[in-house]
Amino acid sequence: MIDTALFLLVDGLTNGLVYALLALSLVLVFTVTRVVNIAQGEYVMLGALTLADLLQGRMPGTLYLLIGGLTLCVVLDGSRWRRDWRQALLVVLGAVAAAAFAVAITRGALWLKLPVIGMMAVALMLVAPLGVLIYRFTVHPIPNASTIVFVIISVGVSMSVQGLGLLIWGASPYAVDPIMPGGVMMGPVFIPYQSFAILITALLSMGGLYLFSEFTLVGKALQASAMNRRGAQFCGIPVTAAGALAFLLAAAFSAISGMLLAPLITANYEMGFMVGLKGFVGGAMGGLIDYPLSLAGVMIVGALESTSAYVASAYRDAIVFSLLIPILLWRSSRQRVEGH
Amino acid sequence: MKILSAAIIAMLATSTAALAADKPELRIGSVVAMTGPASALGLPEKNAIELRQEQLASDTSLPFTIKFITYDDGSDPTKAVNNVRKLITEDRAHVVICCTTTPTSMAILETVTQAKVPNISLALGQSVIEPVKDRMWVFKTPSTDQLQVTGLVADMVKRGIKKVAFLGLEDSFGEGGWIALQSVAKAKGVEIIASERFSRTDTNFTPQALKVRQAEPGAVYIHAIPPSSALVHQALKRVGYNGPIYHSGGSANNAFISIGKKDVEGALLGTTPVLVYTDLPDSNPLKPVIKSFAALYEKRFNVPKVDIFPGQSWDAVNIALKAAGEAMKAGTKFDDLDASRAAIRDKIEGSIKEFVGVGGIFTYSPTDHLGLDERSTFIAVVKDGEFRLYDSK
Repeated sequence: MIDTALFLLVDGLTNGLVYALLALSLVLVFTVTRVVNIAQGEYVMLGALTLADLLQGRMPGTLYLLIGGLTLCVVLDGSRWRRDWRQALLVVLGAVAAAAFAVAITRGALWLKLPVIGMMAVALMLVAPLGVLIYRFTVHPIPNASTIVFVIISVGVSMSVQGLGLLIWGASPYAVDPIMPGGVMMGPVFIPYQSFAILITALLSMGGLYLFSEFTLVGKALQASAMNRRGAQFCGIPVTAAGALAFLLAAAFSAISGMLLAPLITANYEMGFMVGLKGFVGGAMGGLIDYPLSLAGVMIVGALESTSAYVASAYRDAIVFSLLIPILLWRSSRQRVEGH
Repeated sequence: MKILSAAIIAMLATSTAALAADKPELRIGSVVAMTGPASALGLPEKNAIELRQEQLASDTSLPFTIKFITYDDGSDPTKAVNNVRKLITEDRAHVVICCTTTPTSMAILETVTQAKVPNISLALGQSVIEPVKDRMWVFKTPSTDQLQVTGLVADMVKRGIKKVAFLGLEDSFGEGGWIALQSVAKAKGVEIIASERFSRTDTNFTPQALKVRQAEPGAVYIHAIPPSSALVHQALKRVGYNGPIYHSGGSANNAFISIGKKDVEGALLGTTPVLVYTDLPDSNPLKPVIKSFAALYEKRFNVPKVDIFPGQSWDAVNIALKAAGEAMKAGTKFDDLDASRAAIRDKIEGSIKEFVGVGGIFTYSPTDHLGLDERSTFIAVVKDGEFRLYDSK
């Protein structure tokens, strides 16, 4: 009995940590840009598949997305060329340089045959900029649209990215090497080293985000735009850039979570969406604005998921998603208390 | 010079046309999933049809000429229906080979039944051909869950296993396995003591594995496809389950081994003969047929080892050809579309007996549109990272 509980707890918390990185991304994006990003889970998939490609010594398909996106960026900014050719030239040169840099580091990494950690860093550098590109295409043109418009757009983004993933990588799953193979017996429970890697990476990422937003000027600017967009703008903070930065960081966190998850469940084109939704349920606990509460939320989601899979496997997703109802009731009751 | 060669080409063209005009034309239409999620199955199927087409192009011994028309359904039922309609009305196909997946094959049932066109499906699901009285025009070449589960449960009985636990995907694929296991286990007196579900996008399979281990089954049957089938297998090992683990044919592919690695050593899988034909005794009639097909296919498409899918469409084409040949012998005129379609259907049902194909030995009858029996289903075991024949029949 005890060992069953231990097993469920360990796995639940491991998954909770993976969802935690997702919840972090969602909160970050929502506070800075007011976008409820349903597509956040797709970066999980992109991160995992990019890592799978790199580890198997292939040029990752993510480069197509990156170079395609940069090209589209240049085309979209083309209308401004007549007015300001200097800036146009800068945009073009920047895009070309970025694309060349991406290809160069990928080539270099493949040539050097970096260890898993190194490949993860390269994959991160390829996936995170996609967040900025998607911000440029979807949110940047309509900064003052309502939340519901952004939700619908992000559903569209999710579908498109998943479709592109299927096109590039096909439907077959890819096995991904863990950071460290093997594991350790703790009492009756076998824990793979990858679970520890997830724990450490998740803590480092969260700590990194905290330090960044508390102790650097850029981080403080990001915090300011999250608290009061207009006020930040009056203080001279470029809120558009802040939005792009939020998308960049969020894409990076989600990609990391995908790369950590992939050795446990393989990488495939449809892995991201569900993970994203579960991160969302956890994030809802913090109303998508409160980091600590969101983290508590995802841990509850992870633990509930593994227990419900044990007790009634056919209903585990239904149980996890119906957690949203008590969460929302609790939040609205809290809000009423605060309001008075 | 140019004029001369042009004239020769023109002459040649007219003479082959004239030659062709002597013979009636048989039109075989096919719709497979060349794109979309099922393309991993559909592309090899298309390849096999192409291979047969190339072979037949130089074959003048047939009493008819053959025109192949192949469309893509993008793994989408609506597109499958549209393309089958097009095959029936515009291309005036005599036989339709459609489709790759069970959902697409189910979608076109009504279209082929109403138009009275014989259809040979490449889908796994038994519901495509049963009940036979409503599915008069539909046949299929792949084996079924029912048949494979029968083979596996027979092995459990042989080992003296009385209790089995089921672990399956929670979609229609898993449901098919669950229904098959229930009926077979009941018939063979094996008790199902646990049934757990999971989905392809799950991130954790340990809870279900724990539950199953604690039910203390004699064997576990997993009905899923990789990656989840391999991951569930690993989870069972991780929680300390050491009994035999059986898998459906859905796991009989290289992805299963490349994901499960050492953990799936000893896994037992229900499968078609293609996967293990090299281990079959030479006396088995299937061996030479599969061997020559594998050699052809592997050479033409430059693949290291043929998988089960191209054989399914290969068999479908050959069954259609044989039935059409028989229908012609019986005096059917291919110009009369309705009569020849009906005649070909009758001949598939009536003249395909003990037909040795790549996927098994087919014997169709008015009550059996699957045509396969236990001689065509085998158990493979994973040994040193390869599929080997487990129980030599």
